[in-house]
Amino acid sequence: MDELTKMLRMWFGHDSFRPGQREVAEDVLAGRDVLAVLPTGSGKSLCYQLPAYLLQGSVLIVSPLVSLMEDQVEQLRRRGEKRVIAFHSLLDAEEKWQALASLEAFRFIYASPEMLQSAKFLAALRRVRFSLFVVDEAHCISQWGYDFRPDFLKLGEIRRSLGAPPCLALTATAPPEVQDDIIRTLGMDGARRHIYSVDRPNIALQVEHCSSTEDKAARLADYARRLEGPGIVYFSSRQWAEEMARRLEQCGAGRVAYYHAGMDGEQRLLVQQQFLYGQLDIVCCTSAFGMGVNKENVRFVLHFHMPAQLEAYVQEIGRAGRDGAPSLAVLFYADGDRAIAQAVAEAELLSPHELREWCWRLSEGSGWETAMAALEAAGLTDIQKRLLAYFLEREQRVMPGRLTAETKERLYGKMATAIEARRRWKRKKLQEMDEWVHLSSCRRQALVRAFGEELTDRRDVCCDRCGLSLDGYERAARRPEAAPVRHWREELWDMFFGGGADE
Amino acid sequence: MRQRYASFLLAHCLRRFNGERTLAAVYHLFSGKKSAQTLQDSKWFQLESFFGTWKDVTMAVLEGAARTLVEQRLAAPGGNRTYRLTGEGRRWLAEQETFFPRHLNGWRYHEAEPLFWQRLSLIGQTLSNLVYGRRFVPICRDERTLQWVKQYLLAKGSRQTLAELFYKELVQLLEAVSEEAAAIFTLRLTSAVRIGWTMEQIAAHLQKDALYVQFQFRNVLHYMMAEAEAGRAPMMAELMSGLAPAVLTQSAQKTYEWLQKGKTVGEIAELRRLRRSTIEDHIVEIAANVPGFSIAPFVDDEKAASIRAAARALKTRRLKEIREALDGKASYFEIRLVLAKEVGRWTN
Repeated sequence: MDELTKMLRMWFGHDSFRPGQREVAEDVLAGRDVLAVLPTGSGKSLCYQLPAYLLQGSVLIVSPLVSLMEDQVEQLRRRGEKRVIAFHSLLDAEEKWQALASLEAFRFIYASPEMLQSAKFLAALRRVRFSLFVVDEAHCISQWGYDFRPDFLKLGEIRRSLGAPPCLALTATAPPEVQDDIIRTLGMDGARRHIYSVDRPNIALQVEHCSSTEDKAARLADYARRLEGPGIVYFSSRQWAEEMARRLEQCGAGRVAYYHAGMDGEQRLLVQQQFLYGQLDIVCCTSAFGMGVNKENVRFVLHFHMPAQLEAYVQEIGRAGRDGAPSLAVLFYADGDRAIAQAVAEAELLSPHELREWCWRLSEGSGWETAMAALEAAGLTDIQKRLLAYFLEREQRVMPGRLTAETKERLYGKMATAIEARRRWKRKKLQEMDEWVHLSSCRRQALVRAFGEELTDRRDVCCDRCGLSLDGYERAARRPEAAPVRHWREELWDMFFGGGADE
Repeated sequence: MRQRYASFLLAHCLRRFNGERTLAAVYHLFSGKKSAQTLQDSKWFQLESFFGTWKDVTMAVLEGAARTLVEQRLAAPGGNRTYRLTGEGRRWLAEQETFFPRHLNGWRYHEAEPLFWQRLSLIGQTLSNLVYGRRFVPICRDERTLQWVKQYLLAKGSRQTLAELFYKELVQLLEAVSEEAAAIFTLRLTSAVRIGWTMEQIAAHLQKDALYVQFQFRNVLHYMMAEAEAGRAPMMAELMSGLAPAVLTQSAQKTYEWLQKGKTVGEIAELRRLRRSTIEDHIVEIAANVPGFSIAPFVDDEKAASIRAAARALKTRRLKEIREALDGKASYFEIRLVLAKEVGRWTN
């Protein structure tokens, strides 16, 4: 057994690597810059966690989502790793500053992009010797990625200020133009690219064309009743997720719960854990659900509303079949769905009218910082704010000095152009998604082509266009009833002493 | 379903407010707004137990509940967006007695409650999994709680003994509440064999209003905390460590300390770079909460007596009415102080 496999067994308890893991880890260990595009569920985090045990110095991991970060930290801790810490906005201030004093003691340092804006935090980071700089969900760097985070654009600069340690950029979905963006922004020109296919051969693809929303709801209920679970159903709104969760439960689809960002943290965690532990058959959710949910045996992912881009669709269906067993993805489509997807996608973009209003209200003679402050006061959504802040910062560099009527007019012009470009790009993406839905040829072929790949061999089970029978995905027997709830005394007794019986 | 318990809660508040406050005051009470007005309101109208006990309440829900009450002729709108219960409404409310969360003490526990529950539920999950010999993902993500529970368990030694003590104390506490409340509380717990249920899941299972379930659950938690503080639940008392609520808000406490050092209102305002009215709010808070605090330095005895007399004669706690009855001779601050002291006498 070679050294790497030995370490894999020792630290992670696995006997073999999944595709891509070894190749990426070896390049990282050789000190190269690496861009790795590995499909969802392929164990991306191992690509830096394993090398971390062989490299001298700490590893900095930048991650966009607090929940994702916490999942990673938790997993590492469960493996017995104590030298791990995460810095994000939800951390207690006192705790943060305490840890800063002894930062070099940690092997894994996770940080949110917001934290990296803090001069104090950066100063503390500069005292640490980093052997690796990891950017997780690296597609967020690209303006043309489906989940653009302007904060990520500064990562190249931050990396340089930390002495330019070798860089590993990880993502599950990045078409070629996004890959180029990542490499340019992070300043990793000579990077090795490890690109693995977005295709997940064990997930069969199907689109159901429905005549109306009501027809969609009825067919969804029918699928949910018949299919072997567990499964996830995606909706574009919280109200629909809640409503359909109730309907599915009533129609006998098993144990169903809903999940969205409007619920409090504890209730969300309960639903997620119930799903992981098999107490639920179906979760009806918005796109807030999924990242960090490492459930191997998800048998189906259904979409009640189509996502606005193929990238998002691929991410979401990728939560099915991580165990490699046959799984199913069905998208339900009715007329009008395209308009819904467009409205959701463009909610982040101000209309020219709104933008003009906002620009006019900026007080002349003041500096750019007032424009930034005006962003906070304007009652915008977080995502609108992020985008405008990014455009503002860009213009500030070109037009330094104080705001005048003229600069305001120019600012409006530039921002309007940028927003328009983004709107056009989003429409193009939606168009691509829409075409895929209405495709008459192989869906898998079209999907991989959108990511710049070609299918090398035909699958036995592919998509509705190639011919797909749902027999194999249907539930063999009645779903077992939920365990009956007993008197609270028995429940409580079982909680503390039930385990003793079988020991 | 949800509307029903919201209506009950609102009816209770309307009865106490008796047409003297708007729905906004009810909203601030439930959401636990820390303004001088809300803090005093909850004392004057004896609604402290509900303070901060429904943090995600919205005006829309309250307005909906008010509409329902009016439609059923249980309440009638008054001027200025106020409502009063009708005679039928008061009878109806009296019949709902059993739905009243008797142990609820939002005033004292609304801040400590989330951390107390996190500790309790995480210790429960941890002990259960240790007994079953299973690995698990903590049901809580709050770093403070994770650390606290870890330290606590490390200091405790035998897990088996601890599990037994924990179990016994929970049973003892749950026997004292209703069967339904005990069931709700137990279903919320996470063990090695079952992840805890959400409020909505429990509500669906019991076929009850989710809001009702939430208040029943909170009722049990507050009961446990009260028993802990009374020295009758030693394990729960340990979970309360560092969470016992302060009598005064932090800022009022500072003002109180300066007062004790002999500073005047003006001096304290200057020292603390706060508005005079803020310091006066603090003094009213102190008067309402610190038994034996004398208001004599701020309002002379004769004036205090006339304010009290006016409040009794008018049967109101409306500042404006009292002030008018006294021909504007007393300031709002003076009236509030006297009323705050009065409340102190009723409740202590």
